[in-house]
Amino acid sequence: MSRSSRIRIFLQERLGLDVLRGLAGKKKVPVHSCTHFYYLGGMALFLFLVQIVTGILLCLYYKPSPDQAFESVRAIMSEVDFGWLIRSAHSWSANLLIGVLLLHLLTTYMMRAYRRPREMTWVTGILLLGLFLAFGFSGYLLPWNQLAFFATRVGTAMVGVMPVIGDDLLLLARGGENVTGDTLARFYALHVVVFPMLTFALLGLHLFLVQRHGMSVPDRNEGTSGVTQSPSMPFVPHFLLRDMVGWYLALGLLAALAALFPWELGEKAEPFASAPEGIKPEWYFLFMFQTLKLLPARIGLFEGEALGVLFFGLGGLVLLLVPFLDRGRISRAALNLLATLAVTFFIVMTAWGWFSAKEEATLRVILGAVLVVLVLPLLLPFTKPKTGPRQALYWSWSLAMFVLLVSTWWELLG
Amino acid sequence: MISTPQQIIVRCLLLAISWSAWASPPSWGQIPAANATVLPDDYSCSLCHRKGGALWTELTPVAEEKDLVDDVHWQKGLRCHDCHGGGATLDTFKNHRDDPDFRSLRARANVPAFCGHCHSNIDYMRRYNPSARTDQESEYWTSGHGRRLKASSGGDNSQVDQAVATCIDCHGGHGILATSNAKSRVYPMHVAQTCGHCHSDPKRMAGRMYNERPLGHDQFDQWREGVHGRALIEKGDLSAATCNDCHGNHGAMPPGVDSVANACGTCHGKVSKLFAETRMKHKFEQVGLPGCATCHGTHRTVQPTDEMLGMGESAVCARCHNRQNPQYGATVAGAEAARTMRERLEQLKNEIAAAEKKVAAAERLGMEVRGPRFDLRQAIDAVTNARTLVHSFKPGPMDKSLNEGFQVTSEVIRLADAALAEHAYRRVWLAASLVPILVVVCVLLLYIRALPAAPTDE
Repeated sequence: MSRSSRIRIFLQERLGLDVLRGLAGKKKVPVHSCTHFYYLGGMALFLFLVQIVTGILLCLYYKPSPDQAFESVRAIMSEVDFGWLIRSAHSWSANLLIGVLLLHLLTTYMMRAYRRPREMTWVTGILLLGLFLAFGFSGYLLPWNQLAFFATRVGTAMVGVMPVIGDDLLLLARGGENVTGDTLARFYALHVVVFPMLTFALLGLHLFLVQRHGMSVPDRNEGTSGVTQSPSMPFVPHFLLRDMVGWYLALGLLAALAALFPWELGEKAEPFASAPEGIKPEWYFLFMFQTLKLLPARIGLFEGEALGVLFFGLGGLVLLLVPFLDRGRISRAALNLLATLAVTFFIVMTAWGWFSAKEEATLRVILGAVLVVLVLPLLLPFTKPKTGPRQALYWSWSLAMFVLLVSTWWELLG
Repeated sequence: MISTPQQIIVRCLLLAISWSAWASPPSWGQIPAANATVLPDDYSCSLCHRKGGALWTELTPVAEEKDLVDDVHWQKGLRCHDCHGGGATLDTFKNHRDDPDFRSLRARANVPAFCGHCHSNIDYMRRYNPSARTDQESEYWTSGHGRRLKASSGGDNSQVDQAVATCIDCHGGHGILATSNAKSRVYPMHVAQTCGHCHSDPKRMAGRMYNERPLGHDQFDQWREGVHGRALIEKGDLSAATCNDCHGNHGAMPPGVDSVANACGTCHGKVSKLFAETRMKHKFEQVGLPGCATCHGTHRTVQPTDEMLGMGESAVCARCHNRQNPQYGATVAGAEAARTMRERLEQLKNEIAAAEKKVAAAERLGMEVRGPRFDLRQAIDAVTNARTLVHSFKPGPMDKSLNEGFQVTSEVIRLADAALAEHAYRRVWLAASLVPILVVVCVLLLYIRALPAAPTDE
């Protein structure tokens, strides 16, 4: 008996690997026009693994105290071998991860993958998205630089405007009245202990549910009896190899971004200095930040900011409960309308928040048009060729492209 | 005590004006509350020297309370009689001419002694300020002003030079503000204007001589255009030198030729010390050149530049160390030293510029060069230090500082080059890593194509 066979038998006797092999062998992935959307989940998982590996390496050198945090990150960037790569990869993959998760959310919604019996898969997915946003928010402060310090001050202050429990939540988030070393220690503990533990638990449940219920297929590929009408391919090796192509491409993109655009460190936080100009949170919080900035101080009897925070809280709740709100044709139409408005709102506010200065109006239009040009093709699989909706999609995309070209031309000339 | 008829009249009038005042105890004889601004109605000075006072006439000098309330003396609780003497109450009041305690201020020559009555009395001054100076009057008599006042009066007040400044010309008469008060005429921001009030007046300065040279009247304008005047007036830098910083306060005198460097050295200590140890200083004294002022100017002290060093057109060294026409025995070796010092200084400045350019290039590429950028400040400090060491007039000490700067710049350039090389290396590394990634992707795609078609189970 060969050595490899002996090792296989040894492991089989002790770990029961045949069960896993059996599961992998049985797992099928439906093949239809939206199959490529399935890769987004795998890509998010891959980027999360990058986060874990690079995060552990950063932990070896990072020192979570106001006196040392900035210097330690600086040392990681300039003195530790390949430290710049690890930090840049960590930051870039975090942003790519959030981007992929948002696309995963959008495509999952469009496929209505939350339908019975996958409601809990959707709920765990939304909670995971919330957790990754919290990862981003807590991680942003850790380098203890000027921009992050004041953005965190503004971000945590938003919690404080909530009625009744706002003050207590603010104290809980900051560990005091202001953003201090206590806030840093708290955010660090959340970022490296609490959130990872919660993520592992939720991710395990999410993956178990995906495995338990199989991959969802869009409505039209499902028969009236609820049985999938699509052809399928084995998960191993057909889907896994295709997934790996995506992972490798993501790895290449990550390497290119980290090498060409090292993540900036900025200036060390000066708690007693006045807030620098242009403080803004990470891009995925910009839509909330910009909205709160635009709201008047008072709306009727209520504080503008408090209403804004409540609005976003309500939006999050609606998102979480989508599977339970989708109860028929009318509610589905209402949800689709809400989703379209939400995506439009996200794009407009993000573009506005990114280029918030008056003289950057054209750049704002360019960014908005770019996002529309990227998002619209996601709808292609949901329209049939040579139909009205497909034509409308083409026209919309062409219009967005036209706006993009004209505004770019205008900006270059101006 | 027999009252004069005048006293009887005054007392009767006083009774008629305010009989209630007699019911309350008199306020003088003790230090009143600092903010008590209203004189009692029975205050004797008010009767004549307040407009509308019972005995006031058009010819009587007036001192209104409203003009006195900000006066530092008034705020300390002092009243008319504390400076002018005489009796404040009608009981003690005597006609000024008959009162030996009354201190007349009618003659300008009396002013220093008038103020010195208190300000030269340490026992008196200690009551208000334990560390108060009491040498102002004696200093004054040593000043140009004091000497002229003494010389002009010659014991006869009628002959006194009415244009010579005394205490009240700088500090004011009534309404004297504390020197620390920003509105005071002698607050650093206003000293030059106060001095210029007389010294910029061509009529007043006409014919006045100092050391057999005309005193002139353009000092204020020159100072205002100089580096000190601009720092004080435009930037509000209270540490910038104004008239009294070089000439002294109460003992104001132009510094002598041999003491100009000491005057400048009160602020520019290091430069002054370096200059004092040079042969140049003795040579300057020998030929009657006024130290620092020879190169930097007197009142219009311009911002020093590197062009002042060396043998170029703007170089001050070249004025004397001129090969064709050397002045005051200036040597060729001195010219060479000046040229060498300038060249070395320029070399370091060029090195700093080169290092700065490389650091900026690395920064633009997103490389971490905060450390080298911080270190570069040491090289800039070395240039500043070298500029000071120019005043040793020897290349040696300056070279020591410049060499430190060269060491820093070479290290910064090395680190910046390393950062740029690192960035290039990263690009190579990226290209190298993308190749295997793309190869793997291609292999995977080929492998996927070669896979048997997915079985359709439904």
